[in-house]
Amino acid sequence: MRVATDIGGTFTDLVCLEFDQESGKPTGVKVAKSDTTTSNFEQGILDTIEKGKVDLKEIEFFAHGTTVVINALTERKGAKTALITTKGFRDVLEIARCNRPDLFNFNFVKQPPFVPRFLRFEVEERMNYKGEVIKELNMATLKAILKTCKEENVEAIAVCLLHAYKNPEHEVELVKELHKLDSSIEIITSHQVTREWREYERTSSTVLSGYVLPIAKKYLNQLKEKLKNQGLKDTPYIMQSNGGITTLNDVKNNPITMVESGPASGVFGAIALGKVIGKKNLIVLDIGGTTAKCALVENGQVKITTNYKIEHSRTEAGYPIQTPVIDIVEIGNGGGSIAWIDEGGKMHVGPKSAGAQPGPAAYGRGGKNLTTTDANIITGRIHPDYFLGGELQPDYPSIDNASKNLCEKLNASKEDIAKGILRIANSNMVNALKLISVNKGYDPRDFTMVVIGGGGSMHGADLARELQVSKLIVPPHAGVFSAFGMLMSDIRRDFIRTNVITLEPEQRTTIQSTFAEMEGEAIKNFKSDGYTDDDIKFTYYTDLRYAGQEHYVKVLLSNFDDTTPLESIIRHFHKEHKKHYSFELNTTVELVNFHLVAEVVVDKPDFPKLEKTGKKVEDAHFDTREVDFDDLGIQQTAFYHRNLLEPKMQIKGPAVIAEKATTTLVTPLHIVCVDEYGNLILTLQKA
Amino acid sequence: MEKFTLEIIQDALVAAGDEMFQTLQRTSMSPIIYESLDYAVGITDSKGELLAQGNGVTAFLAALDSVVRATLEKFSGENALEEGDVVIANTPYAGGGTHLSDVSVIFPVFYKDELVAFTVNKAHWTELGGTFPGSVSTVATEIYQEGLHFPFIKVRAKGKINEAIVDLIKSNVRLPDSTLGDLYAGIAAAEVGAQRVISIIEKYSLDTFIKAKEDFLDYGERMCIEALKKIPNGVYKGTTEIEDNGFGEGPFPIKAKITVTDKEFVADFNGSHPQVKGATNLAFSGLVTGCRSLFKAVTTPRMDANGGAFRPMKVICEPGTIVSAEAPSAVSVYYEVLITAIDLIWKILAPMIPDKLPAGHLRSVCATFISGIHQDTGQFYIQAEPLAGGWGASSTHDGNRGQLSCGSGESYNIPIEIREMRYGIQVEQYAFHNEGGGYGEFQGGNGQYVDYKIVSDGAHVTAAFLGEKTKTWGMKGGHDGSYNYFMIIRKDGTKERHSLGTNITLKKGDMVRCVTATGGGYGDPKKRSKEQVMLDVKNGYITKKEAKEFYTI
Repeated sequence: MRVATDIGGTFTDLVCLEFDQESGKPTGVKVAKSDTTTSNFEQGILDTIEKGKVDLKEIEFFAHGTTVVINALTERKGAKTALITTKGFRDVLEIARCNRPDLFNFNFVKQPPFVPRFLRFEVEERMNYKGEVIKELNMATLKAILKTCKEENVEAIAVCLLHAYKNPEHEVELVKELHKLDSSIEIITSHQVTREWREYERTSSTVLSGYVLPIAKKYLNQLKEKLKNQGLKDTPYIMQSNGGITTLNDVKNNPITMVESGPASGVFGAIALGKVIGKKNLIVLDIGGTTAKCALVENGQVKITTNYKIEHSRTEAGYPIQTPVIDIVEIGNGGGSIAWIDEGGKMHVGPKSAGAQPGPAAYGRGGKNLTTTDANIITGRIHPDYFLGGELQPDYPSIDNASKNLCEKLNASKEDIAKGILRIANSNMVNALKLISVNKGYDPRDFTMVVIGGGGSMHGADLARELQVSKLIVPPHAGVFSAFGMLMSDIRRDFIRTNVITLEPEQRTTIQSTFAEMEGEAIKNFKSDGYTDDDIKFTYYTDLRYAGQEHYVKVLLSNFDDTTPLESIIRHFHKEHKKHYSFELNTTVELVNFHLVAEVVVDKPDFPKLEKTGKKVEDAHFDTREVDFDDLGIQQTAFYHRNLLEPKMQIKGPAVIAEKATTTLVTPLHIVCVDEYGNLILTLQKA
Repeated sequence: MEKFTLEIIQDALVAAGDEMFQTLQRTSMSPIIYESLDYAVGITDSKGELLAQGNGVTAFLAALDSVVRATLEKFSGENALEEGDVVIANTPYAGGGTHLSDVSVIFPVFYKDELVAFTVNKAHWTELGGTFPGSVSTVATEIYQEGLHFPFIKVRAKGKINEAIVDLIKSNVRLPDSTLGDLYAGIAAAEVGAQRVISIIEKYSLDTFIKAKEDFLDYGERMCIEALKKIPNGVYKGTTEIEDNGFGEGPFPIKAKITVTDKEFVADFNGSHPQVKGATNLAFSGLVTGCRSLFKAVTTPRMDANGGAFRPMKVICEPGTIVSAEAPSAVSVYYEVLITAIDLIWKILAPMIPDKLPAGHLRSVCATFISGIHQDTGQFYIQAEPLAGGWGASSTHDGNRGQLSCGSGESYNIPIEIREMRYGIQVEQYAFHNEGGGYGEFQGGNGQYVDYKIVSDGAHVTAAFLGEKTKTWGMKGGHDGSYNYFMIIRKDGTKERHSLGTNITLKKGDMVRCVTATGGGYGDPKKRSKEQVMLDVKNGYITKKEAKEFYTI
C-alpha cells in the first residue's frame, strides 16, 4: 500500500492506494478526511490513519505534505531568531525594498521585520561583487554575540553576508566557529537556503528559514517517531514547494522548502494524470474555501520560480523567500468568499471569506453574509441532499436573510444577486487564469483544464466556456487531489545559482563548469541519502535576458550537453521573449541564473481504473429540478450520483453530478463522458 | 443583470492596466524603470478620460489623460491619428508634462476603423542627452540643456517605425541601447493593453464598453464625493518654500489656499514666487499631477484610479510661477518642487484628518545620479535612484523607516549586490542614523545613511536633497525630525556638505554620504510609555541621551 497525507488549513486528508500482491496492479483507493489539529499536527495524521483503517505495517511508501512551516510563519509561532550580517548592513532586513504598494495611503504601516534591531548583529568582513575577499573575516565578536543571544533566549541564528551567493567562504567559516562556541542554538546560513543575488531577499529568506527551523525539526522528528511506533518501516517522504518530494533528513536541513507544498502537489498530481491520458498542456485550477489557485503546465512542465513572498498583496509588500516554488497565481476567491457593496454602490466578491466558522449563510451557523456557495445554492446548482457532504440541509431562511441587504441596496431580486455573485466570482477567476495564460503569451484554447479542490468542478464549466477551453477534466477524488498528487511525485531538488555572464563563445567553459559544479553538489547531497549517480536525472535551465534588462525568461536547455551550440540556446530565448513580451531585440543576451533540477524517479503506481459492472446511466439519476444557468436560461436539469457512474457513460448537459466532496456542474453547452479512470471529461459543444 | 457585466468590464480594464505595467517593468532597460518603477501606464477613452491606471509612482496621476488630450489637440481633422500610429511626447509645459526624462508613449486603439481608446505610458528613461549624464542638472537655466525634446511626434506611423527618429535618438544620448530599449518596452506595453481593450470590445460590443466606462467614471465621482464629505469644510491657507535654486539663491515661497466643500476641492497657488533661474521649477501640468495624488490620498486611496474621481478637484495658479513655470525654463529637478507642493497641502490638512495624513516625512526624492567608467568592464555607467528615509508618526503608529518619499510608491531601492556589479561603486554602509528629532508619543521614523565609495577615478555626482535647512515637521506636540543632505567625504578626510549639486567630480576613494531625514513626531513625547522608550534605546533608534533629554527617562 502507498499512502499520502496532506495537512491543509481546515482538513487533513489521506489517500491510500491498495495493490494486488501478485500483479502489482492497483486494486482500490481509500480516502479519509479529518479536522486539522493545529496545536499538534501529527495527531491529525494519526486520526486519518485510524479513520481510513490503514495498517502502517503494510505500507511501502509514505508521503507527507504539511502546513507546519507556513503556519509557523503566518501565526508568528516560530523561534526567536537573531541575524548576523556584514558590518554596516544590519538594517537591510528592516529597510527592505523601501516600497509602499498601498500607493495613495500616506498613513501606510510597513510590515515589521522578523528580527528586531537589537538581535541583528554585525561582523567585520567584506567580499566584492566578484566574490573576492576585500576585508578578512573577524570573528572576535562572536562570543559576545552568542552571550547576548543566550540572555535573550534566542533559539535560531540566521547568517547572511554580502555577496555570499557568489562566495560563501566567510559564511562557512563563521558557522563552523559558532558551532564550536555553542552547539545548542540552531544556525542556518544564506548559502544553504539560496545562491541567488539580492541581499534583502536572501537575508529575508535566511531569517524566515531560521525562524521555522526548530519547530519544523521538532515536528519532523516527532512524526517519524510516532509513525515508526505504529509500525511504519521506512521514514516518510516529505512534499516540497517545488512539486517534488524529498527525504525527511534532507528537508530537516532547510525546512523552508516545504512552505507551499499543498498547492504544488495538486498541480503535480494533475501532471501525472495528464501523462496517463495523453494531455501535456494543462491549466490546473484548485478552488478551496478561501482562495483559488491556478498554474499552467506546458509540455508536462510547470515553471519553478524563486520570486515567492508570504503576506504579499496589492497593499502589502510581503516577505520574500527565495526558495523554489511552483509558479502559482492565487486569488482571494473561494466557496466562502463574501459578497459586499462599496460606498459607490458596486458589488464585490471576496477576498474576505466566511471560512468554516460561521461559514456561508446556508450553513445556518450564524453567517450573516451571502457567499459564493450560497449563490450556487440559490441558483439550484448544489443539490440539498449533497450539501456539505450530505451532512446537513441548506438553511434557506438564513440565505434569505443574508440576501436582503444586497437586494435592497442594488434593487434586485435574490436570484439576480446570486447570478451577479457568480459572474463576479467567475470573472475574478478568469482574470487569474488569464494571468497565467494569455498574459504570458499562451492561448488557453491549446490547453486542457483540470479542476480540483472542493469548488473547482462547481465553476470549471463556466470558466472553460469563457476561455474557450474545449476540454475540462474533473478527476476522481478531486477534493483530496493534493494528497493524491504526492503519490505521483518524484524526489526532486532544485539548485539555482546567480552568475551573470554574457552568452558568448568564450563563456562556454563557464557554463559547463558551473553546471558541473552544481551537479557535484547535487550528487553529494543525494549520496548522503544513499542514492547513487545512476539514480539521478538532471534537467538544465537558464534564466536569460537582454543585456541591460533586469527580469529574465527561464529557458529549458533540452538535451543539454557539451556539444549544445550557444546559438540554439540564444534562438530559443529570442522565441520565448517574443512569446512573453511581443518583441525581440538584436542585442547581447545575458545569463543570470543557472538552474539545475536533480531528480530521482520513484516507482509510481498506475492510476487506478474504475471498474465497469454494466450499470446504466439511469441508475445514477436521482432527481430532476430547475437549475439557473444564467445566460443559458433556467433549465430542467437531471442530477446524478457520481459514485454510480461507470466508464464510457455519457451525459448531455444540462446536468449536475453530485458526490460527497464536490459537485460538477454540466452546462447545456457541455457533454460529459466518464473515462476508464473515472475522470469526468466535459467537452464544450460548438454553439 | 447588465450592472454586473459593466463591473466585469471595469475589472477587465484594471487587469489590462496591471498587465501593461508588468510588461513595461519586465522589458525595460533602465533600472529607474524596472527597480524604481518610475512610470505609470493607463487606458483612456477616445477623448482622453482616464479609465484605468497602473502606477509605480504616485506623481503621474494627471500625466496620462492630459497627455492624450494634448495629443488629440495636435492630431485632429485632416491630421487625425490612424491605426498603427504611436506618438511620443515629453514636453514639460503641456499635457501632463513633468521633465524631459519622463517620456510618454501614446497608442491609439482602433476597432473597425474607429478610434475607441488610448493606451498610454509615461516612464523615466535614464538617459536623454543634455549637458550632464542622466539628463538632470541643478544648474540648468534653460530646457535646452536638459536633453532631447519630443514635442508630440509620431515615432510610428501606420505600423511603420520612423527610423529617422530612432537614428536621431541614438546619436543624441549617452546610453543609446538603454534609451531605445525603453522606447520599445513602452510600445510593447501599450500594444498589449490595446489588444486587451479590443478583446473586451469584441466580447461585449462597443456600445456596452462605452456604457461601462461612463458608468465607471460616474462611480469614481460618487466614491470621491462620499469621501470628500468627511473632510471638514473650510478655507485653509499655508506657505512653504524652496530653499535654493542651485545658484545659492532663495528661499522662494510657495503659497496655497485650499477650499473644501462637500462637492469641491480647490487648490489655489496664486501668489507663489515667480519661476526661478535654475531647474527647481514645476510646470502647471506637474502641479496638477501632484495635487491629484494628495487629493487621492485624502479621498479614495484604495479605489482604482479613474478620471471621474478627479472631477471634484480644481487647481488654480497664474502662469509663470515656480509651480506653473513656462517655456523655456529649466525643470529637470521639478520633482523636488512637486513634493514640496504636495507637502504644503499635506501640512495644511493633516490636523483635520490625522487618520489619513501623518506628520511630515522626508519630503525629498533625494535622487542621486552617479556616473563614471566601470573599473572592470570599462563601460560608462549612470546610477540613478531615489533614496528612502523616515516618515512621520501618526495618531496610531510610529513613522516608517526605510521608505521612499510620497512621490514614489511601488518603487524599490537598488540591491547592493546588483549595484556593485553594475556601477563603479562600493556601498560602505546602509543603515539608520541617529541625527535626532521626531520625538513624540509616536516617534518619527529614522532617516538613513547610505555611503557610496567610488572605486574608479573620473566619476561625477549630481543630486538634489531639499530640506537641508528645514527639518521635517512634527504634529500635535511631536517634535520636528531632521535634515536631508549629502556629504562628499574626500579620501583625505575633508567634508563638503550639499543640498543641490551638479556634476561634482569624484576620485577613486572618495565617498558620497547620502543622509535622509528622520520623520516628524506625533503628540507629546511625555505620553510615550517608559517600556517603549527603553526598547527604542535597546534597538538604537534613539540614544540614551535623547531618552533622558526628550522623554525624561
